[in-house]
Amino acid sequence: MIYSQKTPATLILGIVFAAYGWAVKQGLLDGMLAYLGQTKNADEMVAIALTAGIVGIIAGIVQLFATAREGNFDYYLSTIAGALFILLVAAVVKWQFAPLVAILSKAMGTVGGTGKPIHKLLGLNYVVLGILSGIIIVNYFKIPSWAENGVRLSRLGLKTGVILLGALYSIAELAKLGQLSVVMIGFFVLGSVGMVLFIGARRHIPNSMGGVLSAGMGVCGVSATVAAAPVVQAKSTEIAYTIGTILLWGVLMMFIFPPLGHALGMGPVQFGAWAGTGILNSAQVAGAALAFQPDGIETLKVAEIFNITRVLFLPIIVLWLAVWYVKRESGAQTVNVGKVIVGKFPVFVLGFILVFALSSTGIFAPANHYKGKYFDNSNVSAKKMLSDGDVATLQAQVDKVQREDRTAALSRLMENRKVMSIDDDDTLRGLVNAKVLDKGANKILKKAHKAVRHTAKRVKKFRQLIVWFFAFGLVGLGMQITFASIKQAGGQPLFIGTIVGATKAVGALIVILLFVQETI
Amino acid sequence: MQTYERILLASHGTQGARAADTAAMSLCTSGAAIDHLEVVPDLWKGMMGDDWLNNASTRDIFGSYVESELGREVQQHIKKLENESAKKAIRYHPIVVLGKPTESLLEQATKHKYDLVVIGSPRPRGETGLRSRMHLDTLARGLSIPILIVPYPQ
Repeated sequence: MIYSQKTPATLILGIVFAAYGWAVKQGLLDGMLAYLGQTKNADEMVAIALTAGIVGIIAGIVQLFATAREGNFDYYLSTIAGALFILLVAAVVKWQFAPLVAILSKAMGTVGGTGKPIHKLLGLNYVVLGILSGIIIVNYFKIPSWAENGVRLSRLGLKTGVILLGALYSIAELAKLGQLSVVMIGFFVLGSVGMVLFIGARRHIPNSMGGVLSAGMGVCGVSATVAAAPVVQAKSTEIAYTIGTILLWGVLMMFIFPPLGHALGMGPVQFGAWAGTGILNSAQVAGAALAFQPDGIETLKVAEIFNITRVLFLPIIVLWLAVWYVKRESGAQTVNVGKVIVGKFPVFVLGFILVFALSSTGIFAPANHYKGKYFDNSNVSAKKMLSDGDVATLQAQVDKVQREDRTAALSRLMENRKVMSIDDDDTLRGLVNAKVLDKGANKILKKAHKAVRHTAKRVKKFRQLIVWFFAFGLVGLGMQITFASIKQAGGQPLFIGTIVGATKAVGALIVILLFVQETI
Repeated sequence: MQTYERILLASHGTQGARAADTAAMSLCTSGAAIDHLEVVPDLWKGMMGDDWLNNASTRDIFGSYVESELGREVQQHIKKLENESAKKAIRYHPIVVLGKPTESLLEQATKHKYDLVVIGSPRPRGETGLRSRMHLDTLARGLSIPILIVPYPQ
């Protein structure tokens, strides 16, 4: 079968990207970029637009003029137009539309007594607007046939983003987040699977419906439904009801969670853990995390660890449901444990582990990095050293410090005008957080901390790349969420799903606010 | 009762559709023909779009499973109508398409010279089933032949 089409779309998209990149490089759009507050992103625009432009032009020429032959090359060639289409939507939203919405929103003033403009209240940033754009395109305009294969490729964007994310964790961070996620996911996944089966039995729903619904509601939404449906021999309407319910809840939660998280004063760790546990569908977890913190990826890092933990639970839950179903249905096929475990194992998680392992060797950042930052006081410029005035300010307050380790670290700082060790840095950070000194002194300590903590250049690049992979993947996923699917939400799955979904979201919120600290 | 030589029946195995099946059979005399249009709603194409965690083999298994489930449901319905048609010596011709119900029916209605189109009534509120139905207004405007909408069975 020949997949690539003789369409000028790829070439046109390539020319559009190349022209945009060239115009930014030549400074032709400086006025517009300044108005939108996007001048800082000009280098990124040039790099992405020119790369996409070159790829599009070459692929477009090959598509138009070469004779297509069956095979992998033909298939991958057929995906380029759709990938460029998604990238174009993501780029327009990120560079133009979202900044414009922010400007208009600010011009309208703050809403009521909240002190926030409407786009902040509703979380209308480039991630949410990108997903919305995808949803609008597929439901109101239809995806062009030349773009269909590429739109399916958006899954790869998300998986690649997760794999690259592996470079940004330190061992300590991953260990702590891993423990927290296993406890939270373990409790809430098993709890919600059990709750669906319990309520389902009381409401006399068929075992097949209970099985597919519990996987979807408990583990990772549509992905779990897809994995579990054949195992529990779900009927077509049961699958449709379940997926409709999950999509309805997932999309709603993606818009509700971020503003609620801000209103509750949550930080990246708490929100990432809440979204990673409480949002039914794993695709919307990433969306909510980036919507909560569009200018950084700390929340995404936490949320994705929860997502990975969920997906690692998937083979176990599918196995459990398979055994549960076989016990209850006489005609059910017996379970091949090995086949289920191997078949449902998420291979991309191995990629994440591999990148994390490489990162731990110091290939991307010094091995002792924490959250992508590492300690190095060997090249502190004179400008960043403490001034005489700074030392005097600290000296005047040194009596306020009670703990010996803090006094010692402070003395070494004043003596050397810079932080002398990673332990001193940690101690002084603790002093800042304890708010023992006044604001002026704390400001000096923060300056001293910044002078010796550096973000590795590769890690910085990784962060930019990861944001783009997720933006690409989420716009593409938006293009695959149809109202026709969401409309199928109904029947017992909607009733049970609403109870279990709400219980899980509220329960996870309470546990996180009570027990999960913002510092990991 | 008026009888017809060639009827286009659009039904898909639900209760309302079964009423349409019975009505179409009763409106045909021996030797008449029923073209039975069974539309598999294209909403199924978007049903697993949101899945990104599974590997290709899991998605393939799901795709094949849904296809076989839908195929089994369609075949059961067709088999039933085939048997009933044979008893009444009615020529029965099943047509299975993937698409939107209304558009598919309008397209099929232009392919042959039908005397009548028979469909079931919309499902009453609260009844379970897929949310994919005929748009009666579009049908009324688009069809150039009479249409019979059979009441939902009480």
